[in-house]
Amino acid sequence: MLKFHNFDIVFAEVPDEVTLAINITGCPNHCPGCHSPHLQQDTGNPLDDNALAELLTLYTNDITCVCFMGGDAEPQEVERLALFAREKFPRIKTAWYSGKPTISDKIAITSFNYIKIGGYNAAYGPLNKPTTNQRLYRIEENCTEDITSRFWKNNLNFS
Amino acid sequence: MGISEIRIVKRDGSKEPFSIEKIKYAVRKAFLSVGSYTTDEDLAGVLSRVHVADGMSVEEIQNQVEVALMAERYYTVAKNYMLYRQKHSEDREDREKLNFLVSYCDASNAASGSKYDANANVEKKNIATLIGELPKSNFIRLNRRLLTDRLKELYGKEFSDKYLHLLTNHFIYKNDETSMANYCASITMYPWLLNGTMSVGGNSKAPTNLKSFCGGFVNMVFIVSSMLSGACATPEFLMYMNYFIEKEYGEDYYKRADEIVDLSVKKRTIKKVVEDCFQQVVYSINQPSGARNFQAVFWNISYYDKYYFQSIFGEFYFPDGSQPHWESLSWLQKAFMKWFNKERTKAVLTFPVETMALLTENGDVKDEDWGNFTAEMYSEGHSFFTYISDNADSLASCCRLRNEIQDNGFSYTLGAGGVSTGSKSVLTINLNRCIQYAVKNNMHYLTYLESIVDTVHKVQIGYNENLKNLQEKGMLPLFDAGYINIDRQYLTVGVNGLVEAAEFLGIEINDNPKYAEFVQNVLGLIEKYNKKYRTKDMMFNCEMIPAENVGVKHAKWDREDGFVVPRDCYNSYFYVVEDDSLNIIDKFRLHGRKYIAHLTGGSALHANLESHLTKEQYRQLIRVAAHEGCNYFTFNIPNTICNDCNHIDKRYLTECPVCHSKNVDYLTRVIGYMKRVSNFSAARQEEATRRFYASEKQFVLDI
Repeated sequence: MLKFHNFDIVFAEVPDEVTLAINITGCPNHCPGCHSPHLQQDTGNPLDDNALAELLTLYTNDITCVCFMGGDAEPQEVERLALFAREKFPRIKTAWYSGKPTISDKIAITSFNYIKIGGYNAAYGPLNKPTTNQRLYRIEENCTEDITSRFWKNNLNFS
Repeated sequence: MGISEIRIVKRDGSKEPFSIEKIKYAVRKAFLSVGSYTTDEDLAGVLSRVHVADGMSVEEIQNQVEVALMAERYYTVAKNYMLYRQKHSEDREDREKLNFLVSYCDASNAASGSKYDANANVEKKNIATLIGELPKSNFIRLNRRLLTDRLKELYGKEFSDKYLHLLTNHFIYKNDETSMANYCASITMYPWLLNGTMSVGGNSKAPTNLKSFCGGFVNMVFIVSSMLSGACATPEFLMYMNYFIEKEYGEDYYKRADEIVDLSVKKRTIKKVVEDCFQQVVYSINQPSGARNFQAVFWNISYYDKYYFQSIFGEFYFPDGSQPHWESLSWLQKAFMKWFNKERTKAVLTFPVETMALLTENGDVKDEDWGNFTAEMYSEGHSFFTYISDNADSLASCCRLRNEIQDNGFSYTLGAGGVSTGSKSVLTINLNRCIQYAVKNNMHYLTYLESIVDTVHKVQIGYNENLKNLQEKGMLPLFDAGYINIDRQYLTVGVNGLVEAAEFLGIEINDNPKYAEFVQNVLGLIEKYNKKYRTKDMMFNCEMIPAENVGVKHAKWDREDGFVVPRDCYNSYFYVVEDDSLNIIDKFRLHGRKYIAHLTGGSALHANLESHLTKEQYRQLIRVAAHEGCNYFTFNIPNTICNDCNHIDKRYLTECPVCHSKNVDYLTRVIGYMKRVSNFSAARQEEATRRFYASEKQFVLDI
């Protein structure tokens, strides 16, 4: 059973989407320099089908994406929730921010529209530094595209 | 209580122990002034008639002395005593003015120095702004007198006294009391197109070509603004400019924008000629204006999507019988926005305040092209308002005021009916004080509020009578010449302290049934009275006023008088600005149909973001606005301006990206327009820093 600390509407995590981000607790990765150590603890409310459906119902017409922030302790449960969201709310895309360097082969990456992998490593910097070790992929039916570089450019373009 | 324990209140509000010797001294002096000495008997007679209680003011005691001297039949002594008091009060006034002058000169900026009307629309303080500031107290007195005289005539002295009581005790607030002119107007330029500015006191003839249009337009806006205390909106600016460009370069000019049309060595293209026109008009209007106390005039313009355009200008004919063309206007609107956005990286250009009007249908904008363009402009960092509506039956052209369109018809003397609107005067209810007062006195807050709302309407009727009187005497040429239609101008009931009042009642400020009911009850009550007092030539609307300085004043006064005041500036929104538990969609929802239904005069959501979004994300937020029924909004990302090299960056930075100085200031949209944060009054600057910007940092990228 996954638990979550809180949620928010965010823009920076998934490019071009208006995302409901759910902060999952019980993170097993323990990256040195973690910015949210409170998410390493086993606290918060259960994130089950009901809780997820309730959140998505609250913002159904307003968001374009739901992002599971963490959940590496139970990757298959994250996938199950993503598929549940997709079935009940087909218009809303699914995203997963994982801190693991790779995705478990028990998971079908096509269960998600976006997947971020890689733990925080101070030497390489966060996602918005070109030196980062983390990667964000956009997953389409037949291809997976690394879109990490979207974090590196300034989105203000004067045409 | 012994006499030694009695404390009296001095004019500066401080208290001191009562001293009978001071009264004796004053009475003796008054007797001496008529050449006689006071006997103990005289003194005892006068003093026996004076009753001093704890907490009494010096004024009250002196009034009693006056009455006592007359009752004891010392008439000439009483007269001299009164003259002496009068002379002292005049001296005090001069002294206050001098003190004000000195502190204004010492203040850090013009808005902090201003005593009556902290307005960030003044960049610098100087002798011209000081000249504008000094007579403000006299204007307040004169305006109050004009209004109370009218109220006495209409409803009797008791009512007039009630108004003054509510005003001086800060239950209500009269906006713009320092000016004589009516508030703001969205004008039709048709009379100018027909007759030039002669009919409003200018000396220019009707514009005949692009050059005379641009020059004449600037003069016309200055003339109009000098007769208004607030904003002047010209929703037809670009449409008229388009007409003159077409006359000069042909109806298909926009298809030949790169064609060189200038014989000078500069070889300007049509596009460059048009941009030079933008430059001339925009830079001229952003100059401080002598007629407005060295403030720039407050200028607003509108953009339309295809459907709004058809609805408002579908029946429009220029005096030569031609009609406006959508394709070229659409090009010109886009060209102006792009140019203005770019120009704002070179100079702080406050005006025009721009509003994009988009028609919506089934939860999205109907005109896909303009919906996308709106998102594109936000993503390029441009700052402007968007107004959306399922019907083109209303327009927000006045930077904050939204107005029902009374008549979309066209007239050959006045032009398009839909654009002529505005607010004659704003009278604001301090909801936090009213509701707390009611609860403390065991009244239902709606019962008490009803009497306040009724009073406010009657006062506005009094104001309207005075305005009609001014018009009859030929003092309002804007009305006579048809620039403004008095019947389409609203009398506005403002509200402030709504959120704070709900908090006092223990209601949570988020989207919940209790809060929605509270908002609907309060604003519904005002709307009920707006309808009740409406006549065929008098309309009312209700607006949540932007609390640039009123919110700060109310918080201060209410705190001093012992009311519960949770923050230093009352909110101008339906949510608590610093509440970080609300996300951006919650805020759109709190400015959505459930909450704004009765707010006929509008309130714009200022969605504060820490950094810019992508075009797709803004596009989705426009859909969010349509879903939630939030009809008026803008996005606020502080721009950074370097105090050392003057570079302007549309991002929120702590260091200048050009010269790497950390001496930076921010431009933000606190009221309706972009200004340096350091130009706001001290209290308002605090609000700007406290304001919660939806942060990307909560979910930092480096998980």
